[in-house]
Amino acid sequence: MRYGLSIAPWIAVTFLTMDCFNSLSALELQVGKPFPNLRLPSLKDGSPMSIQDFRGQKVVLHVFASW
Amino acid sequence: MPGWHKATEGLQDEDRFQMVGIIQEQHPDRARLFMQWKQMDWPIMIDSLDLLGVSGIPITLAIDEMGIIRSKRMHPESLESDFLSHNYRDSKDGEKHVKSFPYTPPNLEQQIETKTSFSSMGEWMSLGNDLVLWGNQNHLDEAVNAYQQALTLSPDSGQAHFSLGVALRRRYESPGRRKDDFQNAVTYWQQALNIDPNQYIWRRRIQQYGPRLDKPYSFYDWVNHAREEILEQGAQPVPLPVEPSGAEFAVPSRSLLNGTESQSEPDSSGRIFRDSGEFIHIEQTIVASSKKDGSFRVHFTLRPIADKKAHWNNESDDLKLWVSAPKNAVIPSRIFHYPNPEEATDSRVRRLEFEINPGNIPSEEPVSIPAYFLYNVCEDVNGTCFYRRQDISLEFK
Repeated sequence: MRYGLSIAPWIAVTFLTMDCFNSLSALELQVGKPFPNLRLPSLKDGSPMSIQDFRGQKVVLHVFASW
Repeated sequence: MPGWHKATEGLQDEDRFQMVGIIQEQHPDRARLFMQWKQMDWPIMIDSLDLLGVSGIPITLAIDEMGIIRSKRMHPESLESDFLSHNYRDSKDGEKHVKSFPYTPPNLEQQIETKTSFSSMGEWMSLGNDLVLWGNQNHLDEAVNAYQQALTLSPDSGQAHFSLGVALRRRYESPGRRKDDFQNAVTYWQQALNIDPNQYIWRRRIQQYGPRLDKPYSFYDWVNHAREEILEQGAQPVPLPVEPSGAEFAVPSRSLLNGTESQSEPDSSGRIFRDSGEFIHIEQTIVASSKKDGSFRVHFTLRPIADKKAHWNNESDDLKLWVSAPKNAVIPSRIFHYPNPEEATDSRVRRLEFEINPGNIPSEEPVSIPAYFLYNVCEDVNGTCFYRRQDISLEFK
């Protein structure tokens, strides 16, 4: 546990979750839960982009392909 | 998806919500061309590795101001009643869940240096993902290595297999390509699909390059149509560094073509001198149908070897491929031609594809079919030209 004991439990959970988001694709998309903290290249210029960038606005997210 | 564009244009102007996309494509430039064609200007993220982890598309989610998912099946016609008219800001499950994560761009070189301390599959996957997402062509060797290490620690991970395939295919398209990168990509994608047969994003990646019997639709037949329309409007289409291949344009078919009557072998006595790969490097990739119906698509890439300044002599006979397919094989022809371009010589890459059911597949034993290419190749600038044969073997399993 090392320094894990000294930090608030929610911070520990946050770190754990972040690691999962970055390393595995087992992202759960559940109604009532936050959209995962996933950062992907923007199609426009390859810069990092996330749904978090739109916080404060309602978002309709369409997941699709050209084919 | 254009339905969403039309239905929401007016609403977006009112600043009531933001339309955002995540596009599932191996090639970002094709997605850019698509958006240009459809005149869609939403912010779009590209997810070549399917890190979102969806197993099928399209999906439309409604996400509120705090980042909470409110619907996974949003439809344009019920957008107002089911989402926009709701006030989520006052709901108690908002702030409790949502934390803002600070974002620091990954330092790739530093991450590569720390890999000696990695002990988990997650660490290797994370490195591989960061290198593919944020690195350049020079990082692909490290990305391939990271996914291989992840697979060593977790051999049953479908995602690691799929991601390794994505990195290998990307390296195949880069100057740093290694022998069999494309074939290995396909093999890893097939292994990923064996682990999770219901993952349709993975299945589509194989079908993109596979035989027509296995295609749900043509993947990229829209490309030429899009270019024509963009040009008609006076704009320049987004260039594609990697043009779609024949397999990607091909439309589905219920049966393979068969036509092998009265074809004679061009060098049955084997008199033509062999090129053992001295002038032309030939790479083959064989993609089996994901339905395991016995059909395959064979991709050949022929590259004149730059060190020799090798180039095609287009004033001679066309490039030919002879396939010694057995009688029970289904193949459109045993002989294939690649028509010479107009110019007298060129040193461009030539690609040739065909489909085959070699017979006796699926079976315990792999089927091996001999084949050879015939071509006229020249050495050096204004150097000697030779008619050469290069023997190959096609292995179906």
